[in-house]
Amino acid sequence: MMLFHEMYGAYFRIAARVLGEAPLNVQRLQYIVAEEGFRDSVLFVPQKLIPQKDGSDWGLLRQNPDGTLSAVTKHPPVMPLTLLQKRWLKARLSDPKMRLFLDDETFAALSEKLRDIRPLWEPDMFRYTDSFSDGDDFTAPAYREHFRLLLRAIREREVMYIRFHSGSGRRMEMRYLPLAIEYSRKNDKFRLFCCAVRGGKLTGSGNINLGRIEQVCGTGVRYEGKVTAEDYFRMRRCESPVTVRVTTERNAVERFLMEFSSYEKHTERDVETGEITVQLRYDKQDETELLIRLLSFGPVLEIMGPPAFRAQAAERVMRQYALNQEAAVHSE
Amino acid sequence: MAGFSELIKTFEKTRDYIRDFFIYGCKGRSEFTRRSSRTYDDEKRRAESWLGDVIRYDDSQHGRQVSISVDSGHIPENPLYQAYGAKSFTDNDIRLHFLLLDLLSDGEPQNLRTLTDRLSIEYGAVFDVQTVRNKLTEYVKEGLLISEKQGNAAFYRISPETAAALLRTYDGLDEAVRFYSLDEEFGVIGAQLLQSADTRNDIFYRKHHYIVRALEDSVLPEILAAAEEKCRVRFRTFSAKASANPESEGGAFEVVPMQILTSAQTGRRYLAGYIPEQRRFHAFRLDFIRNVKRTEPEPDYDALKAAYLRNLPHVFGVSFGMRHDTGAVTPVKLTVRLDAYTEGYILERLEREKRIGTLEQTGEGLYTLTVDAFDPNEVMHWAKTLIGRIVSVEGGTKQAVGRFYYDIKRMRDMYGGDGNDALS
Repeated sequence: MMLFHEMYGAYFRIAARVLGEAPLNVQRLQYIVAEEGFRDSVLFVPQKLIPQKDGSDWGLLRQNPDGTLSAVTKHPPVMPLTLLQKRWLKARLSDPKMRLFLDDETFAALSEKLRDIRPLWEPDMFRYTDSFSDGDDFTAPAYREHFRLLLRAIREREVMYIRFHSGSGRRMEMRYLPLAIEYSRKNDKFRLFCCAVRGGKLTGSGNINLGRIEQVCGTGVRYEGKVTAEDYFRMRRCESPVTVRVTTERNAVERFLMEFSSYEKHTERDVETGEITVQLRYDKQDETELLIRLLSFGPVLEIMGPPAFRAQAAERVMRQYALNQEAAVHSE
Repeated sequence: MAGFSELIKTFEKTRDYIRDFFIYGCKGRSEFTRRSSRTYDDEKRRAESWLGDVIRYDDSQHGRQVSISVDSGHIPENPLYQAYGAKSFTDNDIRLHFLLLDLLSDGEPQNLRTLTDRLSIEYGAVFDVQTVRNKLTEYVKEGLLISEKQGNAAFYRISPETAAALLRTYDGLDEAVRFYSLDEEFGVIGAQLLQSADTRNDIFYRKHHYIVRALEDSVLPEILAAAEEKCRVRFRTFSAKASANPESEGGAFEVVPMQILTSAQTGRRYLAGYIPEQRRFHAFRLDFIRNVKRTEPEPDYDALKAAYLRNLPHVFGVSFGMRHDTGAVTPVKLTVRLDAYTEGYILERLEREKRIGTLEQTGEGLYTLTVDAFDPNEVMHWAKTLIGRIVSVEGGTKQAVGRFYYDIKRMRDMYGGDGNDALS
């Protein structure tokens, strides 16, 4: 049972699609290769699919007198579910989040279907060392219902009435167009990405923690405009990237690049010193989280700008320095 | 570049290159010290071919730098999964795959001899019996085919389930697989399942998403199987330094696997295990591990697992080490100042992030977190996220606490001292 196996590969996928569409002409074949394959697959795959005089092709197509290509197979290609995929699904059934997607009856039926399959891993084999302890309760009936209503609304682009309490405890209620759902393993929470809707028009972007939602209901109104998750991300993006300089002390470069690998960034390395200067782009809402994560690197990382962001860092550092001085005086 | 192929036979070498392109995203050709520049060119071309859309080029005075630039929180599919779609194969592999599945697609069981004959008669594909037998055996193992005995002969039929049918049958399962296709544990399998069903994820996203972990999944099946069977594993580890040295053979270890430890904040994953030779627990970075092989069963597995679980309440992150190295370590006591009425969110933060620590109010506006950890350095690294509020740090080791005060002094010089010129 292999994870890295050719049957899951791009070339097998191309061949399956070509066989499924045959008879077809060479142009169509090349189009499929370009669409399903890697960037350079057009240089390698067509000659393996198209019959060659020296027999160096894969022997899956035959050339017709009119130049088109037919499959040597007699049925549309079938790719059965593999044992690895079944074992993966079985392992997923142990995750409480699965109950957000399947109702009790469906969950029971799928569990029965996979009864004799060993899970790919037992839940206790993976342990998250630093996830927060106040994650959402994914099995709560109201949470499950809200999740499903929002999922359906995203698919159907329905404007929803949502009542919730904000992070500061303020009660909010408004009409929103749900666009996408985000999960954070660190927070163990889901957030809804959405746009506020007033008078049939989008008036801004926001996100709502699903755990803070009190009520969700449909309005029966479908949003016909063109707004996507990508548009949403653009709206939420910071105006200027944060620039940091990281020294080589304490293996900081490696630690930083790994820890911040999830950010879109531009990195420049000073070949002589090994130091790096990095521009990080982030969502405006996550600014405080970014600030404290950067400060946790201590003196091996310096926030260079923008000035307002650096000033926030400086303010915290000076406050801490004063606390340390105070403690030193008390201890004398 | 004669002989270049987009496909690769083994995952491990490529895994390093992709990881470096992704993580270090700032090395030019001359900085890749591993192996030859020809290998670098091939690996770079493969990375470009697989990941075209997210590759970024920057010209600098040190030459053209290639990197993978992507905001992992804003992508519905992990581009690094492409690497798993690049396994090389022989012409016979692909031919037999489609022809055998075609012959068996009616669901009727057939034996080896019949299938071999039909390959020849119906497709003109002449294979020796052993080649066909090997492929059938492999596909039974992978679950594509089912083998049944009829008398003395083995008969083969196609497994009747497909991804598309499964996702249609169980309402909501398609959305679940979309969600899990981004998961840190084998999300690639979910993505392959979606591909088989001709669908894709378009609405789920992940925050704090370390997509590079997908590359580490390649070593996990062997480790998980060993843990399930209570066996040891043997492997080599290559730190970043060892990895850069083409002569290095890395460190060899034999370990009793316990758990995979994942940090949701640093991007690192570890194999936590017991090293019999050194009689201690240790966490090995998964991205440094190569050539994992199951070895013999561990007779004391259950007792070791129990000991491991007894240790966990003293592991703040992944380190089991300090007491072994330094002897006695007293619990770290971190006292924080906050106004519970106006800054309740800080109190909430302490509660949810304290892990193995205990939090208590120790004065007016003062809260003390006590963490009895093997390695106080892990606590102090996290403590720096509270900069601006820490009234005192006690316990731990002299070195860990001393470093905290020293670091704050250096940061004060950096941000507020005479050298503060970055603001201008």
